[in-house]
Amino acid sequence: MAGVTFDGVVKRFGAVEAVRELDLAVADGEFMVLVGPSGSGKTTALRMLAGLEAVSDGRILIGEGVVNAISPRDRDIAMVFQDYALYPQMTVRDNLAFGLRRRKAPKEDIERRVARAADALELGELLDRRPRELSGGQQQRVALGRALVRDPQVFLMDEPLSNLDAKLRVQTRGEIKRLQKEIGTTTVYVTHDQVEAMTMGDRIAVMNHGRLEQVGTPEELYERPANLFVAGFIGSPGMSFARAEVERGPDGVTLRGDGVRLPLPGAGAELPPAVMLGVRPEHARAWRDDGELIGPLEGQVAYVEALGRETFLGVDVGEDTRFVVAVEGRAGEQPGDTLRFGLVPAGLRLFDPEGGAALERAAAGSAAR
Amino acid sequence: MIVRREQYFTYLLLGLFSLIALVPVVGILVTAVQAQGGLAAFGEPNGFHLENFADAWREGSFGAYLRSSVIVSVSVVGLSTLLSILAGYAFGMMRFRGEQLLFYLLLLGLMVPLEATIVPLYYDLRDLALTDTYWALILPQVGVSVAFGTFWMRAFFRSVPRSLVEAARLDGSSSWGTLWRVVLPLGKPAVLTMMVLVFMWTWNEFLLALVMVTDEELRTAPLGLAFFQGRNTTDFALLAAGSVIVATPVVVVYVFLQRHFIRGMLTGAVKG
Repeated sequence: MAGVTFDGVVKRFGAVEAVRELDLAVADGEFMVLVGPSGSGKTTALRMLAGLEAVSDGRILIGEGVVNAISPRDRDIAMVFQDYALYPQMTVRDNLAFGLRRRKAPKEDIERRVARAADALELGELLDRRPRELSGGQQQRVALGRALVRDPQVFLMDEPLSNLDAKLRVQTRGEIKRLQKEIGTTTVYVTHDQVEAMTMGDRIAVMNHGRLEQVGTPEELYERPANLFVAGFIGSPGMSFARAEVERGPDGVTLRGDGVRLPLPGAGAELPPAVMLGVRPEHARAWRDDGELIGPLEGQVAYVEALGRETFLGVDVGEDTRFVVAVEGRAGEQPGDTLRFGLVPAGLRLFDPEGGAALERAAAGSAAR
Repeated sequence: MIVRREQYFTYLLLGLFSLIALVPVVGILVTAVQAQGGLAAFGEPNGFHLENFADAWREGSFGAYLRSSVIVSVSVVGLSTLLSILAGYAFGMMRFRGEQLLFYLLLLGLMVPLEATIVPLYYDLRDLALTDTYWALILPQVGVSVAFGTFWMRAFFRSVPRSLVEAARLDGSSSWGTLWRVVLPLGKPAVLTMMVLVFMWTWNEFLLALVMVTDEELRTAPLGLAFFQGRNTTDFALLAAGSVIVATPVVVVYVFLQRHFIRGMLTGAVKG
């Protein structure tokens, strides 16, 4: 096993830069998730690591060795494709054994490893079937098995769950995570689904427009997003944003914007004249005047999203400003009702409205107090 | 009501076209068993003479001619299939400099009719001392068939999911191994369809055989039909019987490979 390093990696398709100066280190045995919207460059980065796309600039290392010029077959990696890419004319057994046979592994070794992978993925009874005779979930397991039998240095997975139905996706998510922990192979996993990223990754790398926006543990990304993009992308529903002017008065700082008037006692003088205020739904709660919340803010309920255990209310406080408020259990409010709510100070995040970068934690921290 | 009327109309149209396709075939079959020496084809039936086939076989020297046809057709089909698969794989799956230009050059072989090149081709082959040999029939037809075959196989290779080839590469397979072990087994219908078409065209080729060979032993079956056409008279019954003899191998090949042929023709027509 080995770690993976992207060192200033660039990928250009003609004039288009699909991946820009990517610097990312994946530790040995780590489960790293590359997440981002379509066109963010995550799959291109993975394909460069696999050797399926040439690197335009920079270096990719597997372990200590630079692999830029090494062919895919010699990189000792295995990949699970989005469409599984199972060989349709071969049985499950032959699909699993194909890579080992090409590498001239001894026959007994092939049989043993195929049996072990089939056992781990409960494929035993399917070994003599062809891919077209399998369900989507079974095909997915065969694709995983094909990667598993090779016992490679690095696993690459390109949105392997996107063709499964929601229930199977949740189940398989757990299985992949469990398997990865068991065998401890370094894994780079690409997805556009931030829930998948949050639940599976040891660390997550968020990409956008070919650029790496932030790398960190799921908690870090959720609690301390580096910029507006990460704050909006991670979390479901995403963070609510409101642009506000910073007013300094004798009582301290007040944020004033479209339907927003929030006192921030103790906020530092380092705040710029305007900020983008961000708050997650669980930090926006129905108003209680017990000192735990700041506010109140008031607005009209635009939609009600009841998920059973909790309900999300979209509340328009101004012309262009909407906050999502989380309510435990079922909410009594209906669209059109007026709702008063407050914000948990510790949950407030402040961003530079121009560049989108998170403002100094000291500023946000003091604002949150 | 409209649906039913549409259905009737569809059947009517299909029936009409089937009739147009079948009438000449039935006409040949009926004429082939009529009494010899008749003056017109598609005349009133005047008997059932199966001996026409034996007479046609003898008079048209089909024993030797069919042997030549088999040698030429099998060679052309074999060679052009192999070359088309390899060239189609390169054009369909690999990226290389000048790929587009080379491909369009190759397509010229499809676009220029043999009639336009037959005279220079004759002189070229004569200079190489290849006229009056099987090579004079095989090589030009391989050239023409490879142009079509490459075009055909390239379309097939392009329809193969790229991830399949990439998975094979990651599994340690070479380009050669990926072609024969992973991609080509999926292309059986496409390859068989190409083989049937090339076989049909080669088998029925007349002009090339007429120009390139004079040796009786090397002549192919379609040339044999010319013997039944005299300067002033034509024995239509024997001509039809000869035509049936010449056409039978193609029909047999088609019938055996029909299932694959239809599937091959539809490859890529709908998303799988």
